[in-house]
Amino acid sequence: MGEAAQPESIVVIDDDHAMRLSCSKILAKMGFPAATFEDGARGLDGVARLKPGIVLVDLKMPGITGIEVISRIHDIDPEIIIIVITGYATIDTAIEAMKCGAYDFLPKPFSPDELRLIIDRGLDRRRLALESRRFEVERSLLKRRFVTFVSHQLQTPLAAIHQYLDVLKLLDDKPEAAVKRREWTDRCLKRAEELQSMIKDWLTLAKVEGDTLSGQRVRININGVITDILSGYGETAAAERVSLAAELPKEPCCVAGDPNCVAVLFDNLIANAIKYNKPGGTVTVNARVEGGEAVVSVSDTGVGIPKQYHPFLFEEFFRVKGEGAKRTAGSGLGLHISKKIVSEMGGKIEVESEVGSGSTFRVHLPEYHDAT
Amino acid sequence: MSTGRSILVVDDDEDFRVSLRSLLAAQGYDVIEADSGKEGLRKLVEHKPAAILLDVMMESPVEGYCITHALKNMDEYAAYRNTPIFMVSSIEGSPDDLFSLSIYADLIRPDRYLTKPLDIPRFLDLLQKAVLAPATATAA
Repeated sequence: MGEAAQPESIVVIDDDHAMRLSCSKILAKMGFPAATFEDGARGLDGVARLKPGIVLVDLKMPGITGIEVISRIHDIDPEIIIIVITGYATIDTAIEAMKCGAYDFLPKPFSPDELRLIIDRGLDRRRLALESRRFEVERSLLKRRFVTFVSHQLQTPLAAIHQYLDVLKLLDDKPEAAVKRREWTDRCLKRAEELQSMIKDWLTLAKVEGDTLSGQRVRININGVITDILSGYGETAAAERVSLAAELPKEPCCVAGDPNCVAVLFDNLIANAIKYNKPGGTVTVNARVEGGEAVVSVSDTGVGIPKQYHPFLFEEFFRVKGEGAKRTAGSGLGLHISKKIVSEMGGKIEVESEVGSGSTFRVHLPEYHDAT
Repeated sequence: MSTGRSILVVDDDEDFRVSLRSLLAAQGYDVIEADSGKEGLRKLVEHKPAAILLDVMMESPVEGYCITHALKNMDEYAAYRNTPIFMVSSIEGSPDDLFSLSIYADLIRPDRYLTKPLDIPRFLDLLQKAVLAPATATAA
């Protein structure tokens, strides 16, 4: 914002003319524009108008008391730093003023250096307060956007289902209703499944973010995990006319981790490889042990991913867009979750992809070593 | 040529278009479909529909608004300036909320804003009125 570049203005409220004069001289030398007022009422008007960063207030003034001035300044802006300037006789009141929200007090008479010091400290404090307020605002904005985003993701399939049912009800007596009912039931089921898998992804993400997935560290043979996942996808792949192939080593290929996590990791990669493939294409999963690592690559012969998107693939909610991109349902979380799991396990994941010829996602995980 | 009963549906959700097509066809409308903003503008020029149903959140959230902006402000599309637009989104809340800070709010604001799933009787009623209105104006 523009205001950040300008020095904060400072307001001085004191009935003593000499004090106002010397304060404004010192402040002007420090480079701060200062405005002075001789009583509480005029001072408050000035504060409301000038929105200063710091207000110096004398406690003993005719009219509105200093204590009341303090609380009314904070009504205007709670982040304004208030420094009480006071004679020795009113130290008790100064302490009371601090209880009411004043930042500090400066007993009269004070030297220019003392004033400079306290102003500098006050401004530091204000910067900190403003920064944390800004951070709060940003966080709540992000949270609000997240809620909006997630509700939109949930609403879209739900609205599609709802509208199918609404229209079916309206068409009930029309001759074409029977055919539509059959066709649309299938479509509704597909959207319901999409909804379920998105919710599943969010729950997995919540678990990964909450670090509750990484608790377990047992020996897992990746060969078995991959064989299970591939056999589970037989039907889906056949429906998409995609063939599945496994190239697994004869000896076990073992890592240490949470079996559920490892299953989620490869499930995501294999599901993507089927989803973003072409009819007649192939998904190949290759596993091998190499230099103390289990290296698993999942390759497809699909549409491929343009290079400019590679840096963002593992980011939350990122989805490849644009012409040529398949319009498929998804939460945009699969790869993000996969990367989190891989990092948790001390490994890494990388991508190679060529538009038109397919993608390969390669996971490196530390090989399992028996502690005994 | 516009028959006065053709409706352009711009939405990237195929299921939404499928059910809407049947609904509108049963009401005697011709339905033209587009799955992106770009295609929407192309089909607008090609078919000159009597009304447009436009999803806000297509590939990018502003894609829908680009169409309203084009229709309302670009000379190229001046002929369609009065084509009624129904903007649809599955999120509750008006474009004024979404674009409260935008200086373009007035340039892109659609005339009618509906949420998904559509309240079908109300939508059909509004659509009929919107489609009839320009015809009456020409007749007068």
